Amino acid sequence: MDFASRLPTEFGLVGLIVEAILFSVAGIVTLIAFIAVRRWYRGRHFQRLSERTFALRSQWNDILSGTVPAASWRLKPLDCEIVESILLDRLELAALPEELPPLLNCLRNSGLLDMRIRQARAERGWKRRAALVTLGRTRAPEAVPALAEALRAEDEETRIAAVRGLGQTELAAAAIPVIENLLWGSRPIPDHIIKNALLNCCHNSPGILLRYLKESTGRARVLLARVLGELATPELGEDLILLATDSDAEVRASAARAMGNSLPAFALPVLSAMVTDSEWFVRLRAVVALGSINHSGRIRPLLRALCDANRHVRLRAAWVLAQLGSNLDDIFNQVVETRDNYAVQAFISELERSGAIEDLIKALEKRDGQNQAHQILLETLHATRHNIAHGVKFLSASAGAH
Amino acid sequence: MGRWLELSNEILFVYYLASNLIYLALLITAVWRNTWHRRRLAGLRLERLQVSPFTPPITLIVPAHNEEAFIVDSVRALSELYYPDLEIVVVNDGSRDNTLSRLKSAFQLRAARLLYLPQIATAQVRESYRSTIDPRLLVLDKEPAGSKADAINAGINVASSPYICVVDADSILEKESLLRIMAGVFSDSQSVVAAGGIVRVLNGCELSKGELHKVGLPRHSIEILQIIEYLRAFLIGREAWAYFNALPIISGAFGIFSTDLVREVNGFRPHAIGEDFDLVVRMHRRLHEQQKEYHIAFVPDPTCWTEVPSDLRSLARQRARWHKGLIDTLWPNRDMLCRRRYGRVGWVLLYMWVFEFMAPLVELIGYSTIILAAVLGMLSRQFFVLFLIFGYAFATLISIGSVLLEEMTYRRYSDWREVGRLLFFCLFEHFPYRQMTMLWRLQGIWQYLRGDLAWGEIKRMQTSTGAMQKQNATRSFTEQ
Repeated sequence: MDFASRLPTEFGLVGLIVEAILFSVAGIVTLIAFIAVRRWYRGRHFQRLSERTFALRSQWNDILSGTVPAASWRLKPLDCEIVESILLDRLELAALPEELPPLLNCLRNSGLLDMRIRQARAERGWKRRAALVTLGRTRAPEAVPALAEALRAEDEETRIAAVRGLGQTELAAAAIPVIENLLWGSRPIPDHIIKNALLNCCHNSPGILLRYLKESTGRARVLLARVLGELATPELGEDLILLATDSDAEVRASAARAMGNSLPAFALPVLSAMVTDSEWFVRLRAVVALGSINHSGRIRPLLRALCDANRHVRLRAAWVLAQLGSNLDDIFNQVVETRDNYAVQAFISELERSGAIEDLIKALEKRDGQNQAHQILLETLHATRHNIAHGVKFLSASAGAH
Repeated sequence: MGRWLELSNEILFVYYLASNLIYLALLITAVWRNTWHRRRLAGLRLERLQVSPFTPPITLIVPAHNEEAFIVDSVRALSELYYPDLEIVVVNDGSRDNTLSRLKSAFQLRAARLLYLPQIATAQVRESYRSTIDPRLLVLDKEPAGSKADAINAGINVASSPYICVVDADSILEKESLLRIMAGVFSDSQSVVAAGGIVRVLNGCELSKGELHKVGLPRHSIEILQIIEYLRAFLIGREAWAYFNALPIISGAFGIFSTDLVREVNGFRPHAIGEDFDLVVRMHRRLHEQQKEYHIAFVPDPTCWTEVPSDLRSLARQRARWHKGLIDTLWPNRDMLCRRRYGRVGWVLLYMWVFEFMAPLVELIGYSTIILAAVLGMLSRQFFVLFLIFGYAFATLISIGSVLLEEMTYRRYSDWREVGRLLFFCLFEHFPYRQMTMLWRLQGIWQYLRGDLAWGEIKRMQTSTGAMQKQNATRSFTEQ
């Protein structure tokens, strides 16, 4: 017990503890005071913000046209913040190209754009990042070089802000620094952010992606192919064939996805071949793409996919076939003719899930000259409504009889 | 006797000082990280994530056991979450009430032939259903196995997305919460295998059709004290541990996990008492053993609102169970302690042993010996009183720090009076509330040693529009 009783006198621990108590109490008081002052300040700030927003909104058209000189609001921090915020919101929401020029002119003539470009180049930390994101929102072409410079920043957050900014410009020119940084830059940026930025920038000119894709390798190649898969247009047709035979399975999967946006007559033979790819996810992508093209020839490759060894491919093929709607009875007969129990089961399950099984039964009942196989099929389908597993056994037998 | 008392007081002194200093360090880290996160959010456009084809699908898994009162509203609210590609799997875990029939009629369920591959062993799935009005909804009806973990595992077996999100049937997710948590995942340059959001207290809030209508403070002091505890645990503790990539727990009420990894570690341990804590520790273990680079993240802005016990008896049971869950995970993983192979996680587990598991024991022994020493005149009474005052004041400072963090960041309690009440109750968190939880946790240790591993039942308060309605319904596993 000596320890605790000796320390106060010998080491002045009591004094130390008293100091610690005072520190804690002072901390408590400071924190409470900080909360109170912060709340009061914010309340006051928002009230002023509201008043000034109302005043500036009431003369908005004059501000935009320059009738109200920029000097009257540009040098007042609160007014400047409000006007910039309104301008950026309008730029983002502008649906028509002709809505952009007056908004951009206001940004340029007031010097707001130059101020943000300067901040994006000269500032550090969050101030720089905020400037980068704001520059992106302006969608101004002159913002691109400043944003591109920030891709070489040491700090990852700044690079992320730069990519987001470049993506928000939605300009094809903004995609180039992003891709070049991806191909030859040494500092990493999360893939998801790059993909979204490229998606925004390249949606009117996917050819840029294709150009760089040809000289890319590894992760960059997969990423570019993935974005291209979303943006491909029928005009890219023949170039996509090269990707469909790529050695990287991820690239082939993206090519299959892209084929879904190509002309059906062109895409069908390629996708039919891809349905037999060695990688299951490439086959799956090919099946999904077959679902999105409108061509009667797609049923055969889909039937092949329905007999795939991979469950995901099989189920997806069943889903696509069940969505075709018309001629379900013919398709059903072809499925039965495959003599593949798993294929039949997948197709019936999908028909039942989508509620199309009733239509199929009606279609089969209407058929003239029903043969024995049709009778068995009908009985089986009636049975499947109660027990599919049991029904599949019947169907196997009926396929044999057919 | 004298020597023993001296040793005990020395240990208590060092222990208390170390505990408070660690918490101060965590508070400072959390203030910095929360501010950082808030600034990062300024550049984030959630609406772009919502329309992006690159946003990966998520399977929401909702384990439900006797949830007839909540389940329909809850599933409806989940189906209205903002997320581009959702799959909702409700697992009816042998409910004895009308949970399944309510789901059937509300969502027009029809039996679906589903290839159920039990990659993770579970109790038998009796039937599966798909909704005809919302194709994203799948309902599994399974035999009861007496554990929430088993129900979640059944959901994991049928999940078809790269990420799963486990949500309690009686919890409320904010509409943007999934987009927000995934935004945190995408912005990370490391591979994120799991991420947790913040869990807040639903008591006192107003609900309308399964959605949060108005945030408010509850009336009972016991509930407000839990709000402060949750703020401290999530805004300080988890934020700071996640920064060091050593987050040991993601709340079972709301978290996303990589489906492949969860399957690789065999899902949730069926009879784990704290199944969420147990899973995250096993994920850390597996990834460290495979020497993979990964991150288990905490994203502080996506919010899940959940109900907390509103009476002392239920709270006591919950805290005893949480402590049993703590031991139940720490003990099997004791080989990870301070091992270089497990990196910082091994050290955080040491912290959990010393400052979480042993806390009630140390406190009990400490209080007893200090009082005894003071009564016997073996301790300077001045020192004794000052030390207690210091301990109380410092811990209160940390609690107020968590309210400050809330104020500086997410400000869910907007009314002056509510913040005032929160600050006022910070004064009581360390006396007498802390001492009460100490006793409940001791009870948990005792029950664990005796082999009493039951979950116990908790009275449920259903929060509804305008009023709190006390129900007699009991819950068996859908709490945090």
